[in-house]
Parts: sequence; structure tokens; C-alpha cells
Amino acid sequence: MRKILILSAALATAYMGSVQAEELTGTLQKVNESGIITIGHRESSIPFSYLDDKQKPVGYAMDLCNQVVAAVKKKLNKPSLVVKLVPVTSQTRTALMVNGTVDLECGSTTNSKERQKQVAFSDSYFVTSVRMLVRADSGIKSLDDLNGKPVVTTTGTTSDRYIKQNEQGHSIDVKNVYAKDHAESFLMVETGRAAAFVMDDVLLASLIANNKNPKDFAIVGPALSVEPYGIMMRKDDPQLKRLADETLSTLYKSGEVNKIYDKWFMKPIPPKNITINLPMSEKLKEAIKNPNDVGI
Amino acid sequence: MVLHRYTLFDTTESTMSIIRFNAVNKWFKDLHVLKDVNLSVAEGEVVVICGPSGSGKSTLIRTVNQLETIGSGEIWVNGQNVIDPKTDINTVRADVGFVFQHFNLYPHLTVLDNITLAPIQVRKQPRVEAEALAETLLAKVGLANKRDVFPSQLSGGQQQRVAIARGLAMQPKVMLFDEPTSALDPEMIGEVLKVMKDLAHTGITMMCVTHEMGFAREVADRVVFLDQGEVVEMATPAEFFSAPKSERAKQFLQQVLSPMH
Amino acid sequence: MGHYQWNWAIVFEQVAGTKEYYYQWLITGLGWTVATALCAWVLALVLGSLVGTLRTVPNKWLASLATCYVELFRNIPLIVQLFLWFYVLPEVLPKSAGFWMKQDMPMPEFITAAIGLGLFTSARVAEQVRTGIMALSSGQKNAGLALGFTLPQAYRYVILPMAFRIVIPPMTSEFMNVFKNSAVALAIGVTELTFQMRQITGEYAPGNPIEVMTIVSVIYLILAFSVNRLMALIERRTQVPGYISGGGK
Repeated sequence: MRKILILSAALATAYMGSVQAEELTGTLQKVNESGIITIGHRESSIPFSYLDDKQKPVGYAMDLCNQVVAAVKKKLNKPSLVVKLVPVTSQTRTALMVNGTVDLECGSTTNSKERQKQVAFSDSYFVTSVRMLVRADSGIKSLDDLNGKPVVTTTGTTSDRYIKQNEQGHSIDVKNVYAKDHAESFLMVETGRAAAFVMDDVLLASLIANNKNPKDFAIVGPALSVEPYGIMMRKDDPQLKRLADETLSTLYKSGEVNKIYDKWFMKPIPPKNITINLPMSEKLKEAIKNPNDVGI
Repeated sequence: MVLHRYTLFDTTESTMSIIRFNAVNKWFKDLHVLKDVNLSVAEGEVVVICGPSGSGKSTLIRTVNQLETIGSGEIWVNGQNVIDPKTDINTVRADVGFVFQHFNLYPHLTVLDNITLAPIQVRKQPRVEAEALAETLLAKVGLANKRDVFPSQLSGGQQQRVAIARGLAMQPKVMLFDEPTSALDPEMIGEVLKVMKDLAHTGITMMCVTHEMGFAREVADRVVFLDQGEVVEMATPAEFFSAPKSERAKQFLQQVLSPMH
Repeated sequence: MGHYQWNWAIVFEQVAGTKEYYYQWLITGLGWTVATALCAWVLALVLGSLVGTLRTVPNKWLASLATCYVELFRNIPLIVQLFLWFYVLPEVLPKSAGFWMKQDMPMPEFITAAIGLGLFTSARVAEQVRTGIMALSSGQKNAGLALGFTLPQAYRYVILPMAFRIVIPPMTSEFMNVFKNSAVALAIGVTELTFQMRQITGEYAPGNPIEVMTIVSVIYLILAFSVNRLMALIERRTQVPGYISGGGK
């Protein structure tokens, strides 16, 4: 009798443990109760997170995020969990995350110390280098070649800081000009209003790939800054953070991530079937080998 | 066509007519509003134009300074053909005072500035001179103490008297009045008519559209009766009021002189 | 969910990696906003008054030319107009002129924005001026003409002084709009207030966008309120004693 009691107690414990090893907290608890998980996506962050020709958000970050969502479904044992997609912009993403509108932000957000005051990041899934886009025939090779020339920065990015920092001690004078978005910054270089466009290399590569004369442009100069991208989530939410990191680690270890990378960076992608053609950088290989969430 | 030619004045070319209509016609689209009007006003003459509403009398008086254009015919004012595109209409207008039914004072200017604006801007009169004249005229119309108020602070009768002073400030050869008392409350009509009578006695040429038959009887040299765009009758007030020749004039007089009116 | 870490002192923080402070950026932005809006407004008042007046003149050619102007500048979205001036015009001009616009023109963003915003606003001002003129009875114009004024004199001394008084309230909102619309100038790279806001809340200080946006909104509010008070003062100063409304009857 006593044995049976112990056995049943042990069975009960085992049963409960298998379903719910721990009490749900944070976002997972919220998602479990509401039956909805909300993904914040970008509309034109090619190839990370953007709308394809059917207005469906797709991209490298979306593919990785969908794996995290699958893991959430599995953990909560809710195969029919509703996935809601909400577009965010670089201005709205932090606020929408903090106020609970979105649960995971899958875009191209730099994991920065500044942002960590408000939100948390998964392990890095991409590492970008800030470099210069110039006209191929301009002869510009380094920042010092920009003396007296206008350099365009997209509003909301920190490229102008690298220019300003480089000016100090180099006795060169660069004119900072600004454009509303990346497409216009590129247009400034294309039409000759700016000599260079300083930006994340991946964005520059995609802009060149989309131009009708890709050979007219070149990405030159050293990396002015190296920035890791992570999936953004709320702070102090260890369960979700662990789940996301574990999901990414699994993809990294299995090599699955290389296939996903090739799909978005080395092969033709929608909507226009253009190939960005940006091989995986050493920095990203490093981050995949040793997953981490260190911000800059 | 009934045209009773007026014979007291000779209307041939040789007389000193200051305004002359030669076969004037005007249409508003299909509506024939002035029909072959022939009319002369001699220098110093006071002519009252009357007729039922819609007879074209306001239109007629407004063609004199071309606030209304005409379809055919000629209008001569001060020896200038105002229909001729070569005529500088502004110089013609400067010599022809016009008093409107609704006064049309400039609301943003004081009484004094209303009166001096045109002499200063059009005649290029020195301000001091223009203001001195304005004050004399204001005294004449009995509003010497109102020089610095704005039109909206005046009664209708007072506004119309300012409007008359404004017209006179240009020292015109002719004064035209377009129903000057029709928009006034009855108790204010008298003060305006008095100013007009005083003016008539100065010997200035006046052409006046009005329903005030008392005024016509008292000061007009001639009455012109207009009906449906036609000059139906032209006569001295004595003739016109005692023995109108046409049926239409008789009917009109019956209406305007009836005690009910 | 709210774990937003409020930090209103963000604007007094130093910009990492520079010697600048965020509040300095906002002050610079405010300066460009005011400069752009005021230059555009002066241009809009001059052109708008002229075009609005021309729409009411008897000459059919001039009037329809003015109508075309208004329809053109009023109906094309402001951002598109700025794009056309800034990006398209230099490409369609002769090569040397286009090159000058892109390379040698002083303050190309600011001048393009001030002129573009000025032209856009002038079409709206023209409509207000026209409405003001139409609100006056034709008797006003006739009273001027009858005294021997030329048409320009009648407009100058009789019609426009009243028309402008009538349209002060709608002009107040146009004047306020020009400040709000000046934010569009960031599209061609004018470093005005909204630009600075986007710059700060972008990658520079992404942690506290709500504070920066709030502060910038308050600055716009203060600008709009100042314009409103200024126009109210003008309205009081130019008020005609005893005049209520309507065409001088």
C-alpha cells in the first residue's frame, strides 16, 4: 500500500514535470493565456524582414523567428497557437515591444547597450559592418578621400558619427548630408549629390543588387563599426530568452543556419528575384560558432 | 416705339450736353434691358430717372461711368466717348461722382480717409489740401464731428451723406445717384434728400435714379420715365406729374403717389 | 506589460562618441524649422496674395493662369513636390545647371525646402485671399472704380485691405500649418526638428523614443501657439471698430 502511494506520487510528479517543468512566466505565460503570439516585422528591411509580392512578411530574420515560434508552440503544447503579424518601424519598434503590442521583433535591429536599457536581445543572428558605398569610377578608397565631399547618412542611423569621428585628427572636412531612407541615400550617390553613402554593408549590397547597373557601384573602405543583430524581446523575460537562444543554438550547431543564410543572401529572393550575393562574413561565422548576446 | 421727344432743351450736337446716350442697347443674355436709349443731359441740369423696378434705370445710370458695359450705341461723357477702348475710362470716372444705393464706403478707413483717398491717390492732391476740402464737405453734409469715426459706427443716413461728400471731393462735373435713399430707414431719407437738394442748387449736373417723387418735383429740371428698358417719357416735372402722356407713366404715378406708399 | 524606463534627462545627455549634446541637436533643429517655415511663409504670402488676387481679375487669361497655378501646387502632395525640386529638377535641367544645383548651390536642402514649401503654401494662401476678395460685395470694387481708381489701385487701397482682414482666421491656420509642414523638409535632408527627433530616436538613443517625441511635440505645440497669439494680436490691431462682417452694407 505504502509502495503504491509512493509510486503514484512519483508518477504524478513525473507527469506534471513532463508537461510543465516550471511555472510559466513573462511572455510565455501571456501567450499561453491569450493563445496568441505577436511578431513585429519590418516592411522593407531586405532581406531580413520585408513584405514580398503577396504582402507577406518574409526574410532571413523571419525564418529564424518562425523557428522560435515553433519552439514556443511545442513548449506550450499549443500547435494551433495564433501567430499575429504587426508591422513596426525603426521609430516604433521599442515602444511597441515595451508596451506589449509585439512579443518578438524580427527585423534588423542592432543589439546596442543603449537599447538594452529598455529591451533584451537573443543571441546575435547577423553581424553587419558599416562601410562606404561609392560610384565605382570615383576613385574613393577610404574616408580620407572624402575631403570636401558630401557624404549621405540615412536619417535615424549613426553613420554621420563615424564620419565626424574620422574627421578629428585627419584635418579633413566632410559635408554630412541626409536622406529620408536608404533608397534615397542611394539615389543621392547615384545622381551625384553625394560622393559616398555610409551604411551597413548588407543594406548597401542589397541596394546595389537592386540597381539596374550594379557594376557602377562599389563597397569600399574598412569596417567603421561592427554591429550584431538580435531578435528583440522584453527585458527580464528569462524563459522566452532561453527558448530563443536554445532555438538559435540548435540551428547553429546543426548547420541549418547556413542553408537559411544561403537562401536569403546568395540566391534570388522575392519579390524581384535579385541576388544580394553577400557571402557570410568572418564576424558572423564567429558569432555562429560562439553564440552570444553581447551588444555594442 | 413710343418716344416723346423732349423739346424744352435742344438736344442737337451744338448744345452743351455733358452726358449723351446715342441709340444705346444692352442685353443680359436674351434679356433686352436697354432699348435704343437716346438721352442728353446738359451742363447744370438735374435729371431724375424713374420707372418701375426692373425698368433698367439702375443699369442705365451705371453705363455712364461704365460700371456696366453696353451692347451697342455710344455714350459721351464730358466730350469723351466712353465706349471707345482708346478712352481712358479712369479719367472719365474721376470727373463723375457716383453715389450707390448701399453707400459702399470703405469699411477699413475713417470717414476722413474715405473722402481723401481718391483725391490723394488719383488726383495726386497734397494730403493737407485734400483734408481741408474733406472737412469743408463734411461740414456741408452736416457731419463735421464725424471725421475720425469708421463707417460702421454711422447710421445709414450718415453713411450716405459721407458717400456724397466722398463723391464731391473729386470735384466732379457730374454727380450720379443710384437710388440713394432706397436702402435707408424712412426717418433717414429726409437728411439725405436735403443734402441732395442743397447740392442741386449749387448748379452741379446731376443724374438721379430715385423713387422720391417729392424730390423730383422740387428740384428736377427734367424727369425721364423708363419702362422695360425704353425711355417712355421725358418732361418737366410739372408736365410729367400733372399730365403724363403715356398709359404706363400714369399707372406708375398712380402706384408711387398713392397714400399707401 | 509596461516596464518602460523613463528618462526625461535623455536630452541633456552627451551623444556617445562626440562632444555634442542631444539638446543642442534639438536647438539646431528648431532653428532650421523656424527658418524654413518663416522663409516659406514670406514667399507664400507674397506669391499667394498675387495669385489669389489674379484669380479674381476680369482678365480671363490671367485668372485661368492663376487657377492653374493654384491647382498645380495645391493638389500635388508636398513631399512629392520637394522630391521633384530636389531630385528630378537637376536631372532634367541642362547638365551644367543640374551640376550646379547638386554641387555648388549654397544650402541646397534648405533653399529647396523653403521654396518648395513656400510654393505649396502660396497656393493655399491664394485660395484664402481669393475667398476673402469674393466675400466682399462687388460694390466695394465699384466704389473704388467709380472714383477713378485703376484696377490695381482699387485692389491696393479698397479690396485687399478688407479681404486680408476677413481672412486672418484661416490665414492663422495656414501659418500654423507651414510650421507643421516644414517637417516634410526632412525628406530632402533639412536637419530640422523632426529630423533631429528621428535622428535621436533612431540608432543614437533608441532607448527613450517616447521622451524625445514628447519634447519635440511640445516644441511644435509652443510654435503653433505662438503663431496663433501673434495672429490674434494682428487681428486685434487691424480690427475695424464696429465692423462685424459682410460687404460694407
